[in-house]
Amino acid sequence: MTDTSQAWLEKIRAFDFERTIKIMNVCGGHERSITHSGLRGALPEWLELIPGPGCPVCVCPEEDIYQAIRLALQDRAILVAYGDMLRVPVNVPKGDVRTLAEAQAAGADVRPIASPTEARAIAEANPDRQVVFFAAGFETTTAPVAALLAEGVPDNLSILLSGRLTWPAVAMLLGSFESSPASPGFDALVAPGHVSTVMGPEEWNFVVEQHNIPAAVAGFGTESLLAAFYSLLRQLKTGERFLDNCYLEVAHPGGNPTALRMMGAALDVVDANWRGIGSIPRSGYALKPAFAQHDARLRFPDHADPGRRRAGEMPPGCDCANVVLGKIYPNQCRIYGRACTPRHPIGPCMVSDEGACRIWWASGVRVAADA
Amino acid sequence: MNDTRILLAHGNGGRLMRELVTELFARHLGNPLLDTDADAVTLPPLDGEPMVTTDGFTVQPLEFPGGNLGSLAVHGVVNDLAVAGADPRYFTLSALIEEGLELAVLDRLIASFAAAARENGVAVVAGDTKVVRRGEGGGLYLMVAGIGVKRAQAKLAIESIAPGDVVLVSGPVGDHGIAVMLAREQFGLSGELRSDSASVLPLARAVRDLPGLRFMRDPTRGGLATVCHEIARACGHTVTLEQERVPLRPEVVSVCEMLGYDPYFLACEGRIVAVTDAAAADTVLEHWRALPQGAGACRIGRIESGNARVILETGLGGRRVLDELEDDPLPRIC
Repeated sequence: MTDTSQAWLEKIRAFDFERTIKIMNVCGGHERSITHSGLRGALPEWLELIPGPGCPVCVCPEEDIYQAIRLALQDRAILVAYGDMLRVPVNVPKGDVRTLAEAQAAGADVRPIASPTEARAIAEANPDRQVVFFAAGFETTTAPVAALLAEGVPDNLSILLSGRLTWPAVAMLLGSFESSPASPGFDALVAPGHVSTVMGPEEWNFVVEQHNIPAAVAGFGTESLLAAFYSLLRQLKTGERFLDNCYLEVAHPGGNPTALRMMGAALDVVDANWRGIGSIPRSGYALKPAFAQHDARLRFPDHADPGRRRAGEMPPGCDCANVVLGKIYPNQCRIYGRACTPRHPIGPCMVSDEGACRIWWASGVRVAADA
Repeated sequence: MNDTRILLAHGNGGRLMRELVTELFARHLGNPLLDTDADAVTLPPLDGEPMVTTDGFTVQPLEFPGGNLGSLAVHGVVNDLAVAGADPRYFTLSALIEEGLELAVLDRLIASFAAAARENGVAVVAGDTKVVRRGEGGGLYLMVAGIGVKRAQAKLAIESIAPGDVVLVSGPVGDHGIAVMLAREQFGLSGELRSDSASVLPLARAVRDLPGLRFMRDPTRGGLATVCHEIARACGHTVTLEQERVPLRPEVVSVCEMLGYDPYFLACEGRIVAVTDAAAADTVLEHWRALPQGAGACRIGRIESGNARVILETGLGGRRVLDELEDDPLPRIC
């Protein structure tokens, strides 16, 4: 820990708020950093940090995971995916393969990767096999996919893209769309630093300008996060409103022009389905027609089974959608800590290290809230 | 021994197998007690209470910066005996070899096994080899049983750990886990980090008779956090680690940050976690720091009354529960 973190912490503690202040973050990296540094325990009790829709694993459509499992099992493709997608269960009858990890155990060739260049390397090393890169994630992980496409990919590599944009989910929470809930449920927003690095911080201006809610861009370090919290609290106190950038050294106005150019060349922005939340306008990425030959959705049969029970839904009893939207606390879900634990995760929020339920569990909350 | 690779015939009981045993294994491991023609050997009486342990070893790649499967297997068994307060004496070695393994590689691994055994005063007194078909084994698996003589005067007992006790570690944690991962060039990463694979016998000998030493264990897979869980479960108290005191090499920290791993769960192969009463902690650290392998020894935490769990105290004064490892660590998305 640096002295600066301690100094920010003291400045935050010096505030006095009569009511609970809720600050939402929309970045798995933020949530991880908050949990790993034990920030919640160090901050005043009146300050509540809520993880919002920032967990790509949690919002990835169930149908896409089902499709990935079938591609690996039925079409015998080498299925490469980011590690934490391997454990997310789909809704299938008892005894059927529920996760990519189970598909692997059943003989499918499933390989966890940490970067798209590995997908290319695996495709090049297996020229006789079909390789599918199941690319779920936000702008930060979708940009490298666009770069991969721009640089040219082997014929046998196709992409099952489940890329999402962060800001439209926040816009939906804030009531920017007709289908939006009435109350945002938070007082201020920490905007994602790495997303801003790619897309430009000004993407988040709408939070301040249209909704009069303080917003600050923060990096992953505790120092940057604490600086952002301080800025947000000060804005709430003074009534001033502006988008603060507490990640100046990395998140530059205009974002990363190269990344944006590559994304613009390879990907279209489309309406997209968020698991348990529904369709959000212009919130997803799809491969442009010029890259259709590398679109796994076009290369392989659609395995969607119209008769599959609860296809696309959350598992029975699971309230992940409301957790993701910051509407309920994880332990207010009926199955939290009972049927759903990291050992036997039911909902996606208990699977990923960035899922709110998993995070609460890890921070020591072991009992469900009394109903 | 004109072949360059292991054939199935090296396991058929005939000439090739005999040559493999005598010209490769016995050449490196030979000692007066090892009789490759005997079904069983008689050991001389031990000069103390015997202790026994067994372990199986597999690692990919077979050779990595800082060690290889051969030295790793010896260190693993030596370390289990050492932290229990014993000096290792006799090992048995059973080798499952995969068809196609290069003989030169096998030779290096067994030579390394033999050298590590000698350094630790161990004689290999019995052995066996089997060959499995290509694709059925990871090149080489080694199964080792070890017999040692108990030397610690007092009983080192995990149940004797009490609130107020202190947790120590003999050096940085997670080196082996990350070194092997980098050697695999997994996730497109590579680097120079060396595994900590080593015998902890000198460290254990230096402190095993100090008054106030309660317990020692060598963290292996599952890492520091897993040892702390074993301690918490056995003594029924809370193990509290202080994040800023746990020694970590910068390479380990950066890989963990990149992939979202928790370094506390990464494998070590040459460290000791010890629990002492508060008065003995500094003496144990002094003895460790006097040895090259213990130069990085630190006090990292304490035992507190409370539930049997492991808590990590962060620099900002937050506390986080370190859960038991559920799955293999996998890289996260963002």
